[in-house]
Amino acid sequence: MSSFYKLGQMPIGLTVPAFAILLVVFGIPTVLLFLISLNAPDFSVTNYYAFFTQPANVRVLFQTIEVSLVATGICLIVGYPTAYLIVTASKSLRITLIALVIIPYLTSGLARTYAWIVILGDRGVINNLLLGLGLIQSPLPLIYNRMAVYIGMVHIMLPLMILPLVSAMMGIDRSFVAAARSMGAGPFTAFRRVFFPLSLPGVRSGSLLVFVFCLGFYITPAALGGLRDAMLSTFIAAQVKSSFDMSRIATAAFILLAVAIIVLSMVGLDLSGTQGRAANPVRKSWLARLSIIRNLKLYLSELPRPYRAKRWAAQLYQAGTASRWPQIIGRVFVVLVMVYLLFPGLIVVVMSFSAGAFLEFPPSGLSLQWYRSFFGDASWNGAAWTSVQIGVEVAILSTIVGTLAAFGLSRMGPGSRSFLTMIIITPITFPVIVVGIATYLGLIELGLIGSQTGIILAHSIGAIGIVVVIVSATLANFDRTLVQAAKSMRAGPLQTFMRVTLPLIRPGLIGGAVFAFLQSFDEAVITSLVGGLSVRTLPLKMLENMRNQIDPTIAAVASLLMLLPLLWIIVFYVLWWKSKAKAQNTLPAPAA
Amino acid sequence: MNMHARTPLPLPEDELLHEKRVLPQIEFRGVSKMYGKVPAVRDLSLTVRRGEFLTILGPSGSGKTTTLMLLAGFEAPSAGDILIAGQSVAAVPSYRRDQGIVFQSYALFPHLTVAGNLEFPLEMRGVNAADRKIRVGRMLERVHLRDFGGRMPSQLSGGQQQRVALARALIADPPFLLLDEPLGALDRNLREQMQIEMKSLHKEFGITTVCVTHDQEEALTLSDRIVVMRSGRIEQIDTPEALYDRPATCFVAKFLGEANILEEPDFRIEFDSAQPSGTVGMIRPERIRIVAPKESKRSDADRRQSVTGTVDDMIYAGPLRKYHVRVGGTVLIVREHVAAGQPTFRPGDEVRLDWLRSDVRFVAA
Repeated sequence: MSSFYKLGQMPIGLTVPAFAILLVVFGIPTVLLFLISLNAPDFSVTNYYAFFTQPANVRVLFQTIEVSLVATGICLIVGYPTAYLIVTASKSLRITLIALVIIPYLTSGLARTYAWIVILGDRGVINNLLLGLGLIQSPLPLIYNRMAVYIGMVHIMLPLMILPLVSAMMGIDRSFVAAARSMGAGPFTAFRRVFFPLSLPGVRSGSLLVFVFCLGFYITPAALGGLRDAMLSTFIAAQVKSSFDMSRIATAAFILLAVAIIVLSMVGLDLSGTQGRAANPVRKSWLARLSIIRNLKLYLSELPRPYRAKRWAAQLYQAGTASRWPQIIGRVFVVLVMVYLLFPGLIVVVMSFSAGAFLEFPPSGLSLQWYRSFFGDASWNGAAWTSVQIGVEVAILSTIVGTLAAFGLSRMGPGSRSFLTMIIITPITFPVIVVGIATYLGLIELGLIGSQTGIILAHSIGAIGIVVVIVSATLANFDRTLVQAAKSMRAGPLQTFMRVTLPLIRPGLIGGAVFAFLQSFDEAVITSLVGGLSVRTLPLKMLENMRNQIDPTIAAVASLLMLLPLLWIIVFYVLWWKSKAKAQNTLPAPAA
Repeated sequence: MNMHARTPLPLPEDELLHEKRVLPQIEFRGVSKMYGKVPAVRDLSLTVRRGEFLTILGPSGSGKTTTLMLLAGFEAPSAGDILIAGQSVAAVPSYRRDQGIVFQSYALFPHLTVAGNLEFPLEMRGVNAADRKIRVGRMLERVHLRDFGGRMPSQLSGGQQQRVALARALIADPPFLLLDEPLGALDRNLREQMQIEMKSLHKEFGITTVCVTHDQEEALTLSDRIVVMRSGRIEQIDTPEALYDRPATCFVAKFLGEANILEEPDFRIEFDSAQPSGTVGMIRPERIRIVAPKESKRSDADRRQSVTGTVDDMIYAGPLRKYHVRVGGTVLIVREHVAAGQPTFRPGDEVRLDWLRSDVRFVAA
């Protein structure tokens, strides 16, 4: 007990396990990668020179940036009105809509990408429908082009844009808009002059999140795009598969990382300005002088927003429009967005019950044959079992290590806390392909390539970051005087933790564990690099099938993955909303 | 020393309480607390007497909360020592000490019921379940919350939460009680009611109590003695009456109630005794009489000093009227109770102010 107490006295000590894993699996390899890209020990920029003198490389680089920017732009254009309409809806409708946004957010990205292949393919839902109606003679080229890439990417990224926006908009005090109206501003002016500027932090965090995820996007563009739509990550992955020239891979990875950092700092400077600084009063430190790092820091502090977005029960802001048309248009718009987000999943679920030898929509007959095939085929259920095992172990490891780190961080000064948090969550902020390459290098050094332990470590570096973010948010809301109160009543440190702290932060811990599990369960990019040939996880098996499109069993798998979020929603409902409701809804107690 | 207040044994029928308690004396010896290079408390020496209700009063940043944290064991002194019943406790962690604390936010455990909260300190002291139940029931009765044991803290009103916090601090029968801004979160009416209730609880339990507040009214109402703190140091310790009537410094005079400072050149003060150097004259607003300039002088005129001035402002506050009267370059505050037949002066009226020379106090500037 005394050693426990002493550990608690040393905030840094609690973060040691997290940093040890991070450093060995990811940190040192990243530095090594950088040195390799610079031809260490000779140090030259020949690799970078070689990269930029190849027109094809430069084209891929610009294409990556272009695709990411366009996808982010579409997300913002679609996401902002959606978020606004969600926030202005009535309370029960708002909660429903947010749940409908969260369901795809929690659904496997692979399964959702697969859904678009099924819908847009030459013999997919749309073409079949049009052919059947006799409107077209030959299939339209809907897939394997840039449009399909955008459709798929925006579909996956949209929740990531909407959730921070909703969270930021919910934080806007409705009395501000009322005040503007009382001063003679019309509804549109009040929106433009008051609501919109106040929602900018949400715009910034949503856009940055989406943009950086897009930069590292690998599976969706590769699965839905044509050969000419290669992203830098596709290019890197192809290099790994074919040539395995480490210096070229390292160079490409660092160019991608540099693009992320440069664009982040530019966007950060542009949009954040005074607004961002006012919203995030970061204590001045030597760090703050480096504007790039500062903007990164701002961006990183925005990251937790989707996880923190749980003030959904807060007071709603009612727009109060006089005319009917805007309302009707708004409703139609929200319905369309929700259909876009959810319909692909529904189609896959329905198709998975097809009776024929191929997938068809609408199915000519119903059967469970693909589910039988999934549960009967050892390669499928074996992969699923491996993924569950890995996911559970990742969840356990990262919840323990991440919670300790979050505790340590919560006891530090604000300066060192935000700096160390920034470092701990780099694996979830760097483009995923870069993390994959670095981890690959790290696991080679450890001799863990192709082992389950290696995959668990590789997944854990990101999962630890997620747990730290979620548990830190929980700890920030945790009233420290409760600990003092317990101690003043003669509860020792261990008793205080077990009886007071743990019960109160348990929702955060379970939430962290669930997200850590999800991070691992759906991870395909890093796994494909470090898994070797021996370990087959479910996402890898799905990826393989998506490429070949032979086995319709994948539809059954995808629809099972679609149903999984409902389970998570129930878990979160029980954990958060219920406890919130208990604490808040009964507040005006009957006076005695 | 007011040791006389120290006798009544609480709830004489209570067989669980009848172990003889030795109420300790608490002593601060030259205690300092630094946060980095910033001193929060400097060289504080103070004795809390057995059974007394001592209030530490001061503005924010005066070190009063740090003093309480030191006493509670949540902070360790940088220098000096704290003794409870003659034993140094500077190195004893809070959970090995025996004390009851009421926190400003009440710090009721949100995941436990009211009864669960009250049981907690008993459980930590190893009291068995049956006894816990009896004592919780009795305590709830005592704070008028008999039927609330099963509620969650969030289902209680502010005043009820406050009573639960107090009950939780007292239930294990600790030798002393620490209160951190205990009534700060309550509205005015409730606060007055709770002040009376706390005073009666203190009397009944006879427990040594140290309270920290910035609310002078709370301090004056509740305390046996008040410590006024300013930037980490003790400014003055005395009974409420003495502090109000004979403040040692200008700071104390202004912090406890309103004070008029009489300085040259607007006032050439006439005194009964010689003015000590480094001091200024101070008079309380209610000691000044306001009359029309032509009103005939009273019989005690030879013991009074009088000045003339102009009414700047009149504030009507129920049974009181407050005037701001300009005398030369100084504005004096005058407070008088509204009585029948008393004239009301309007801004711009010429008035005469007078006061007993013996009512003027010398306070360190």
